[in-house]
Formats: sequence, C-alpha cells, structure tokens
Amino acid sequence: MNSGGRVRLEGIVKRHGALTVLHGIDLDIQPGEFFALLGPSGSGKTTTLRILAGLEPANAGKVWLDDQDVTMREPGERDVAMVFQSYALYPHMTVGENIAFPLRMVGMPSAAIASAVREAAAKVRIDHLLERRPGQLSGGQQQRCALARAIVRQPRLFLLDEPLSNLDAKLRLETRVELRKLQRSLGVTTVYVTHDQEEAMTIADRMAVFMEGRIAQSGTPAEVFARPATIAVAAFIGSPPMNLLPAHIEAGRLHVADTQFDAPPSAGADGNVVLGVRPGALRIASNGIAARVELVENMGDTAIVDCTVGGTPIKWRVDGVPGVREGDTVYLTAAQEALHVFDATTGQRR
Amino acid sequence: MSQRRWRTIGLTLVAAALLSIWVIPVLWALLTSFKTERDVLAYPPLVFFEPTLANYREVLFGASSILPNLVSSVIVAGSATVLTMLFAVPAAYALARLALPAKRAGGFYMLATQMLPPVGLIIPYYLILQKVGALDTYGGMTAIYLTFSLPFAVWLMVSYFEDVPQEMEEAALLDRAGRLRALWHVILPQVRGGIAVTTIFVFLNAWNEFLFAVVLAGNRVRPVTVAMFNFISVEQTQWARLAAGAMLAMAPVIVLGLLAQRHIVKGLTVGAVKGGGRR
Repeated sequence: MNSGGRVRLEGIVKRHGALTVLHGIDLDIQPGEFFALLGPSGSGKTTTLRILAGLEPANAGKVWLDDQDVTMREPGERDVAMVFQSYALYPHMTVGENIAFPLRMVGMPSAAIASAVREAAAKVRIDHLLERRPGQLSGGQQQRCALARAIVRQPRLFLLDEPLSNLDAKLRLETRVELRKLQRSLGVTTVYVTHDQEEAMTIADRMAVFMEGRIAQSGTPAEVFARPATIAVAAFIGSPPMNLLPAHIEAGRLHVADTQFDAPPSAGADGNVVLGVRPGALRIASNGIAARVELVENMGDTAIVDCTVGGTPIKWRVDGVPGVREGDTVYLTAAQEALHVFDATTGQRR
Repeated sequence: MSQRRWRTIGLTLVAAALLSIWVIPVLWALLTSFKTERDVLAYPPLVFFEPTLANYREVLFGASSILPNLVSSVIVAGSATVLTMLFAVPAAYALARLALPAKRAGGFYMLATQMLPPVGLIIPYYLILQKVGALDTYGGMTAIYLTFSLPFAVWLMVSYFEDVPQEMEEAALLDRAGRLRALWHVILPQVRGGIAVTTIFVFLNAWNEFLFAVVLAGNRVRPVTVAMFNFISVEQTQWARLAAGAMLAMAPVIVLGLLAQRHIVKGLTVGAVKGGGRR
C-alpha cells in the first residue's frame, strides 16, 4: 500500500537539563519493517520514539524519513501516525468521529471520510461500535479504535508506544498476533516500543535493545537471543533470562566455582570473565558444576529449577517433570557452543 | 432507638444549625420584601403579617425603580465576563502547556494580585480613570473588573487545562490538526465544564461587586448594588424596598448557581482525584 517508510536516525542526542538521556542513537529501519525498540524503563526508547514523531526536539543529530531530513518538521508534517500507551482517544467524540478526525483535519470530502472510516474500523473489527463513545468501550476495543485512527490515514510510518501494556495477559497475546498480521497486510513501516522482551522477540522483524540511553545491540530477535553483545542484554533477553556466573580464564581453561573445563575458542585471553548459559541449555552430567536445588517451579510441560552455584542463583529449565527435589545436589553442564563469555570489566561479549 | 439513629439526628441538627447561619438572612430579606414599612419596624418582629407586593411594584416600576440599574449591572458584569473569558482561556492554555520563559514567576504574580486588598487599589484606580476620562463609564468599570477577574479566571482555567492529558493533544498534533485546531477540536471540548464554572464565577463576582462601583462610578453607571445602597439614607432606611431590591438582585445569582451546581461541585474538586474533574 505504501512503498516508502525508510527511517534513519543519525547521532540523536537528547538532554533534560544536565541529564543526558540519549547518547547518540543511530538506527536504520527499512521500508515495511516491524522494528521494536526494546529496553527497561528509563532506557530512552520512548524518548527515541517521540523524537521520531516530532513531539520532542533532539539536542543533536538528524531524523530522516525516506531521504528527507525531517529533524525540524512539526509532528503533523511528518506523515506518521502514533498509537499511544494511553490510546489518547478523544473522549467527547464517538469512535467514528475519532477515526475520522485525522481525515477531517486534511479536509477530505465527507463521503470519502465515511467510507475510509468504515474500512479502517472493519480491519480492526470495531465497525459495529462506530456510534459509541470511547468511555463505553472495553480496553481492547479502545486499543482497536486507536489503531483504526492510525491506519485510516495510510501514513508512511506507524509509531506504537507500548500499545499492549494496558491489556490483560490473554488479550495481549491475541492482540500481538493480530497486530503483526495487520502490519503485514498493510506493509507500513512500524516502530514499536516495548519493555517486554518476549513481545519484541515474537513480533519484530528486527529490534534494538536500549540500555541507559544507548543502543546496546540491534539485529533480528534470533541474532540477539543467540549472541547477546553485552552482559546487560544477556540478562534482559530470554524468559527466564540467561544465567550469569563469575568465572576466570587461565591457560585456555575456564574456571567456574570449583570446576574447570576447556574454554570455548572465542573466549580470548586470560582474565576475569562472566560466563553466561541459558537455562534451557543446561543438562545433567557427572563432570558438571555442583548446584544445590533450592526450589522446583513446576509449570506442567516444563519446570524451572532454582539452584545456587557457589552462592550465585541460577535457573535450570527442564522439559517434563524434573527428577530432583529441594536440597538435592545436581551436576550441571552445557555444550561448549551454548556458552557465552563476557569480559568482566567491560561487560562486552568476548 | 439505636445509637446510629441518634447520631443521624444529632448530625442533622448540627447541619441545620450551621446552615441557618446562611439561610436566616436570606429568609429575613425575603419576608421583609413582602412587608409594609410599618410591619418591618414592628417590635417584636412580626412572623405573621399581611403580605404585599407593593415593594416589588415600587422597585420595579416606581419612582425609585432599579430596572435601569439591573440593566447597568448586566452590561458591566456581562461585558467584563465576555472579555475575561476571551482572554483567560488562551492565556490559561498557554500557561498550562507552552514552555514560556518566566512561566512560574508570571503565574505567581497573577495569583499574588488576587491577594491584594481591593481597597488599597481604589485611589490609584480612581486617579487613572480620572486621567483617561473613564470615571463613571461602562468602559472604565469593565476595565477595572477585568483587573481582578482576569487573573482569577486564568488561575482557575489553568488547572482545567492541566487536567487534560498531554498525549491527547499530541495525538491531535500528529493527526495534523496544528496547535489551534487541536485546541479548538480536542482540548476546549474537554474543559467545557471548567469554562462554564469560570464564566459563572466571574459573572457573579462582577455582579456582586460594590466597592469599586460606588467609588469609581455611581451616577451615569449605577449597578444594582449601588442602587440598593441608595435606599439607605440619613433620614430613613427603606428596609422593605431594600429587601425587595435585594431579592431581585439575588435572583440571577441563585438561578445561575442552581444551573451550574453540578459543574461547580465538580469544578472545585478538580485535580483532587486524577481525571475526577473532567468529563
């Protein structure tokens, strides 16, 4: 429907007084891509989105939309539509009037507006609610109304700020899938802010992980999951997240707790490191690291076994019912390619 | 009888006693307005008397008719209210939303003007109006009323504007409305209640004003508050006519109060609960 929609951010810096919240953000988002800005709260992802929308000025850097420099343009001149976390529906207008509003503002003839509104509402299945007021809708319906208001304009870019966070867990899962399908069918570039790593992993083509005002890593969800670039990203991605154990490398051997084994080839020079292992990559082996079982969380088809290794808590994910009980000692290991080695001082992947 | 029941009765009595402080003078004026001047002066006061409409006839159509004064009051209070709201709404929006230099200081200054005793301003106002030849004119009185109603209205309206979520306005900006159309189509409809309350308060303040009216006007421009004052003279006070005039002057106040009751209660609790004052 809309062939454009390439987004580039170049060295975006944002300061609030003495506090720098964005330290030079660079992003390149391709037309039609579903791109997630992922990060814990306060990491700068929403600020980045707002700068992209033109709702906040950047202190330095440039915003490009389809090779046009829009850094100084007003929000209304950028041809972007946004769905806010609070939905920001206009409470005094009906659903139909809400959806029609962006078209009315550009002076579209009313017959064309009416058919565009019906079409947009049908896409998100609220065409039977056009006469209602936002206050008479459920949370999920309000969210759809906000979506319809965004898609009715056929903008070149959608900005979604945590659009699912106000929905209950079940509805969130359903809407996530629908949102993805809707975006595919419209083909409009979408930038999606979320703090929920699972949401970003499942919905995005690519994502950028924000940490303290910087992009710690960007790539496809699979890449980021498979090779987290820093300790912080490793600790943030995955459910439950990666286990991180203090370790050191000496003469090609990796020393963890009281055990040692061959370091992976990429592990690099001698020194202190942090060893990362995904909970699902652990398995029992007689030559493994001794771990004491503290708690077994049974979830039906899988179980999470909470253990401690030399005082450090770790999680071990087991398919089916684990044959261990609280107080047992188990010996755990992982395949060499499942080990992630991070430098203990820089936090970077080795 | 249960303790709870006694409590209810006790509370009702206390409430009635407190309420009577406000109600009795009004009731007294109402009764007096239907008495003859002789009955008014009767001692002990008469509770039962033959009611008469003569006072109302006199203050409406007699020699001392206050009808022209009611008209004067409507002109002064009405034009002050219209002008106040015309300036206060955009000013309050700007103070609530825009990043203006010295916004806090400006806001505080405006609030501070509300704390000045009006009597302290009378002499400078008198001299200024005299200099510009606006003493005892509608223009002069309206301008003077603006000096106190405008800060009050701005201050009240700011809290209503601040109550509208910022995101709603941002959504309108992204929907290509621009600031002015966002204000008109999205923000103003949501502060309707606040505009109604502020309008009524501003009107009532101007309508009830006496001090400035009696000093800075009073001959050509004589609002009803000043006219009523003229029923009190050195020789005699025409209590019954004064009371009838007071009832007529009070009528619009009471009508407006009843009309806006729901809004006013909501308006006074604005900001107490998040989103409580809106809708």
